Parts: sequence; C-alpha cells; structure tokens
Amino acid sequence: MTRPYTHSAQTARARPMLARLERLVPLLLLVAAVAGIMLLSSQFGIVQQRRVTLAFISLMSVVGLYVFMGNSGVLNFSSVGFMAIGAYVSALLTMRPQVKATFLQDLPGWLAEAQLDPVLGALAGGVAAALIALAVGLPIMRLSGIGAGIATLSILIIFYIVLGNWSGVTGGQRSLMGLPTYVTIWNAGLAAIGAIVLAFVYQESRSCLALRASREDEVAARAVGVRVVRERLTAFVLGAFICGIAGVFYGHFLGTLRVENFYLDPTFLYITMLVVGGMRSLTGAVLGVIVISTLTELLRLLEVGARLPGLEITLRAPAGLGDVVLAGLMLGIILFRSQGITGGREITLRGLRG
Amino acid sequence: MELEASQVTVRFGGIRAVEDVSLRLGRQEIIGLIGPNGAGKTTLVNALSGFQKPRSGQIRLAGDDVTGWSPDAMARHGVVRTFQAVRLFQGLTVAENVETALLSTGADRSAARAHARDILAYLHLSERADTPANGLNYGDERRVGIARALAMEPKFLLLDEPAAGLNIGEAQELGQTIARIPNDFGCGILVIEHNMALVRDLCERLHVLATGMTLVEGTPAEVMAEPAFINAYLGAEA
Repeated sequence: MTRPYTHSAQTARARPMLARLERLVPLLLLVAAVAGIMLLSSQFGIVQQRRVTLAFISLMSVVGLYVFMGNSGVLNFSSVGFMAIGAYVSALLTMRPQVKATFLQDLPGWLAEAQLDPVLGALAGGVAAALIALAVGLPIMRLSGIGAGIATLSILIIFYIVLGNWSGVTGGQRSLMGLPTYVTIWNAGLAAIGAIVLAFVYQESRSCLALRASREDEVAARAVGVRVVRERLTAFVLGAFICGIAGVFYGHFLGTLRVENFYLDPTFLYITMLVVGGMRSLTGAVLGVIVISTLTELLRLLEVGARLPGLEITLRAPAGLGDVVLAGLMLGIILFRSQGITGGREITLRGLRG
Repeated sequence: MELEASQVTVRFGGIRAVEDVSLRLGRQEIIGLIGPNGAGKTTLVNALSGFQKPRSGQIRLAGDDVTGWSPDAMARHGVVRTFQAVRLFQGLTVAENVETALLSTGADRSAARAHARDILAYLHLSERADTPANGLNYGDERRVGIARALAMEPKFLLLDEPAAGLNIGEAQELGQTIARIPNDFGCGILVIEHNMALVRDLCERLHVLATGMTLVEGTPAEVMAEPAFINAYLGAEA
C-alpha cells in the first residue's frame, strides 16, 4: 500500500541523540535526588540513617504501587501483601538452618536446610511475589473502580490470614526472628534506584502507553486494539515484583517479621504517599515518599518535644498528631489538587512537564 | 474483501434495537448509514466492531465468521470505529493518542513516533501534535479521533457522526478529507451522519434504518425519491 503522506523519518532522525537524552531527563533527576539523599544521610548518625533506609524501602514499595495503580488508574490495596510474600520467601531461604530449627520445627526438609545467598534470596522473594500476582491477577484484571478496590482488598486480607495462620512456615501469630540483617542505607538506596529505573523503562514501553490509554478511556482503548486485561496484568506482575523486593528489604532491615507489619497501616501509608505526590507520574511517587517521610519525621520529633535553637520554649505536640496531619493532608490533596503535588507530570529541567 | 452483517438482531431487554439487518461494505466504497435518532445506527456499528454481541445473525470479515470477537481483536484485524463522543485519551497528547493505535498494530516506539506525525500532517493537525488532547477545540478533537482510527491501518472504517457539532464550512472540509480516505488508505467507510447534504455528496450507497429495521437502501438519489424514506426520515426530522 502506498502511503498518501510523506514519511518524516528524516526529521525524526535528525536529532535522535538529543531527543533521546531529553526523554531520560526525568529518570536522571530522580536517580540524582535519591543518590543525593543517600550520600547526604550517610554523614548522619545511625538513627537518622535507619530512618532514611526505611524511607528508601517505602520508596521501593510506592514505586511498585505506582507501576500498576498510576499507569492503569485501577485502585490497588494488595501491594503490601506482595511485600509480605517477598519478605517471608526471602526469610525462609536465607535464614540459618539452626535458627529455623528453633522457630519453625515443622518446615519440610529441603526448606529447613536451605541457606541461599542474600541476593538470590531477594530475587526469589520478588519472583515469588510476581508469580502469585500473575495467578491472582488473571481473574481480577477486568475489574476497575470500586470492584477492583474490593477485589484487591480481599487479596490483602487473604494473604494476611493465610500468612498469620500458616504456623508451620511463617510462625503464624508469633514473630519470626533471626533474619540476617544485611540492609544498609547503601544497598537500600541502590535498590530504590533500581526500582525507579525499572519503573521508568516500563513507563517508556509500548505496553505502558497502551495501559495509560486504557486509564484515560477503556472503551476507546479497546477500539484501537488495546488488550486491556493483558496490559494491566503486565503492570500488576511487575509492580508485585518491585513490592516483593521492597518486602525483602523490609524483613532483612528489621530482622523480625510479624504479619501485622504487612496489613492496613502500611497499605494506607503507601497509598497516601502516592496520592499526595501525584499517582500519575513516577516523579509523583518519589516526591510523595520524600514529602510524607520528611513530614512524618518532623511531626515525630515534635511529638517527642523539640527545642527551638536560641529560644527557651520547648515545642511539644499531642500524641497522634502525625496521623491526623497525614489524614488531613490526604483530604486536602483530594479536595484541592486531585492529581497530587506534581499534577501527574514528570520532572524536567524546566520544572514539571506533562 | 468485505465486512458484512447478516440478519443481525440486537435486543436490550425487551426492546429490539436492531432487527434482522443485513449490510455489506466493500474495500473502496463509502456508504451512509442514516435514520432518525433511536433507529439503531450506533447499535449496528457496535455490532460490526465487536462492542455488541448480536442476539442472532452473523458478522463476517472477508468471509470469516467473526461474531462475538472482542472489540480489540476486531480493531487489530482492521475493523476500526470512531465514537460520536470522540473519546480521546484526554490525559495524553495528540501524538500519543495516535501512537497508541500505531503500537497495537505492531509498530515499535520510534517508528510509531515518526509515523504519528505523518498521519497528523495528513489531517492538518501537525501543530497540535504535542497538545494534551483535553486542550483541543471541537473540530480538531473530531479530526484527532479520525487520525487515531486511521493509525490502525483500517480495512473498514466505521465513522459515528464525524461531523456532529461542526459548522457548515468545517463539515464540508471534513467531508472532503473523508472522501479521499478510501483511495489514500485503501479502506471502505461506513458513515453515520445526519447532515444530508454531506451524505449525498460523500456516499455511493445509503442504508436507511428506522426503529431498528432496514427501511430502504440504494443510491442517494434512489433513497431520497423513496416515499417511505421521505415519510419516516424527513417527516420525523421536520
């Protein structure tokens, strides 16, 4: 078939390097921001470093949440459940056999004996989360709106109950102790950067553009040949992988796993971070984590009682102020800036752009 | 190669939206689907494009039975429709709207990016390429809807009221563009349109629906001379 219009391939090829570099700007700026925070806080004391490390782990999880929820526009409450899967799988595969024998006498032989390298254990955790996402995602990816909200919340509840009662493998309601604590500000920061890179590469893929189209108008997306269920499932599985790795880091950061750590509190915290930053852009996901983590930290200091330099007054906020401020911030964003701080745009050298 | 509806019936509850309608569309022709509001025109386009499964009857594409195919499969096999309400991807740019369609035909991202510019140029939308779709005026919005459909490399293009809401000059201009498409893109066009002057100039054949059933079909001159058409259509409109 002859084309009735001229191919502009020449003009497109004229400045390919420059154009390609320009597309990478948001990624470079976000990576630089995380690397900057990592370097800066490595100068601080161990307590501050641990707070930043925890924020990096939140960053991974929120980026994982963003990959599916931000690009598809479909509500997802299940991401913390995939963190739990990653955390428990990695724990079981990397803990020392003697420790496992103490806490989990009923493990099958091969699992009781296993002691993988931490990197392999982490990958296994991420892959396990991704595979389970593939299985549970298949039937629910046709849902959107309230249906998707209820379905993903149900998944979170099922994971929570199964992990909390599968005593032979998870320790059930008791804590599972003795995970190797290899997480530092360095490897958590690098993993967070890895999550950002993965999310960005996905975001530039054809699969993601199709998914974003379905977010804007599902019916019109089908009319241009988009396989909506398949594209959603791709993002759901990738998001679950990233959340699984975040869970691995969380477990090996604390050294102790409790199923309560993977339930409603972090679910709503991460959703708040994503919504406040702006759930339709990767910049929004990263910024949301930075803003909320900083704010939470300041409010925590205030609840303990902070002394202003040079003044004789001690500021002390009532306990629980942090949660109230977070809820209020979420409410304010939804009411007055529903696309979050970034308005759903990515950061560029000229500020935020669509 | 033809797109064909054969004795198609669609019912919603007890209401018959389309009843026993047969229609054929060839690769190089433009046919008009007309009739008063509620006659079942959009329902028939929904059935042809996979958005509505008929209660009975068949949809055939190049002789193959494609009844019950999903809309995205129909689109990837060359049966592409537009919407009366256009339904652009509002948060994406004009170029991205077109690229999305190109990508689902199998183009890679850089090819799609270049090709999208060509299609936009064809529809005189080059300056709008990087505008968000929600910042367009009405006429541009309608043309982007057509650009997005053309990006699918359609074999059959189903246009649902492409000129709705345009003024006389804009409608004429759009008519001229549509008239060139079968030759330039090698696709047949079915167009739902209320603007009779546009339909008369554009279409070789007309298919008239009333209350879900075929009233008359034939060349524009034949149809407009038909007493049943004058009663049902113009009578109802007047």
